[in-house]
Amino acid sequence: MDTQLAESSPLLDLSTRSTLNDYSDIAAASGLRKITCTVEELPHDELGSITRATATAVIANPWLGTSTTHDLAERTEAIAPLLAKMLSDRLLDALGGAKHVEAFGKAAIVGTAGELEHAGALIHTPFFGNLLREALEGSSIICFVDGRGVPGESLRIPMWHKTAAATRTHYQTLEMSLPDAPHAGEIAIIAAASTGPRPHARIGDRTTDRVITSEILKGIQL
Amino acid sequence: MNYRKLITIIEETATEGGREVDPMARVVIVAAVFDNPWAGQGFVEDLNAGIDSVASDLGALLAPRVIEALGAPLEAYGKAAIVGLDGEIEHGSALIHTLKFGNHFRDAANATTLLPAVEKRGPAGVQFDIPLKHFTDATIRSHHQSVEVRVSDAPHAGEILIALAGATRGRPQERLAPLSTEQ
Repeated sequence: MDTQLAESSPLLDLSTRSTLNDYSDIAAASGLRKITCTVEELPHDELGSITRATATAVIANPWLGTSTTHDLAERTEAIAPLLAKMLSDRLLDALGGAKHVEAFGKAAIVGTAGELEHAGALIHTPFFGNLLREALEGSSIICFVDGRGVPGESLRIPMWHKTAAATRTHYQTLEMSLPDAPHAGEIAIIAAASTGPRPHARIGDRTTDRVITSEILKGIQL
Repeated sequence: MNYRKLITIIEETATEGGREVDPMARVVIVAAVFDNPWAGQGFVEDLNAGIDSVASDLGALLAPRVIEALGAPLEAYGKAAIVGLDGEIEHGSALIHTLKFGNHFRDAANATTLLPAVEKRGPAGVQFDIPLKHFTDATIRSHHQSVEVRVSDAPHAGEILIALAGATRGRPQERLAPLSTEQ
């Protein structure tokens, strides 16, 4: 879509609309090829269960063929909010609402004909991150992985606590693969969330650690 | 039905071949990972006790979840059995190639045909493809399709992963002449 067409299109109010169904207009505007949601439910003795989910959008790289000096802002501002909305709608649906989300993370993998900066543009600006954080009712910085990859790429998405990033119990990663994506001219954008901590977290926390410095190297017992 | 984890995958295709897919093609996979009921027993000649203890409960667990996640009438379906490295492929086959398992899916989907299947042994995270065919007429060519799946950290050596898959339509840009035109 060129800029003139975008400016002449009627404005949409996406703030209250769900993109779970009937979102072909959003899909077309973001260049979406496919969108996948993977949900993993782990039965847990104390917590009942822990649910972890990833939502992945595979879109056409809007900057294909542009130079490393090309300004990425215009397409980022147009596309990143659509991605944040589609992905957060799916995570919230999978986890039962923002009140159940305890940890989150994100990722972007650009295909081999694109630039690493293209992946970063779609997840590292407020047009994606702020909307994802707000939808999941978090306040922490969202941890991430990014890179360039080939279809079938496997990655591990880091997550941490959505309001207290240093909470050690919630440091966790979700392994996932990207079947048939990203093609050379595509970008895969991923958001991830969990309803709980690691299944059997028991390595303390900053609040329980005693002070540890390199002084302990002076008295190591083997 | 005890399981270590339950995985639901919903995949929607909006474009294929550079063109819009209308309606979007939705495929759902639901997989359960659980202990191989024959683990540690050596070669078990008669698998019926294990089948009876697992197969029906498994079908009852997975089938409604596929239908619910699909959110639209099912038109194609398939199944998978992935056995961890310490088991036999026959263990996986035992759990899916029985009406006690498949009828849960057929009944939930108002389907009549046999479910196409993949059976395979592999390490945790092994990739597999689930074949799907039309739910009432397995000769309908437009609905022959498969979906690629990989579940992280499963199945472990002593586990089995069993999955059901359903699709709302045929292939995204299906445009092959029907089988009848070649007969």
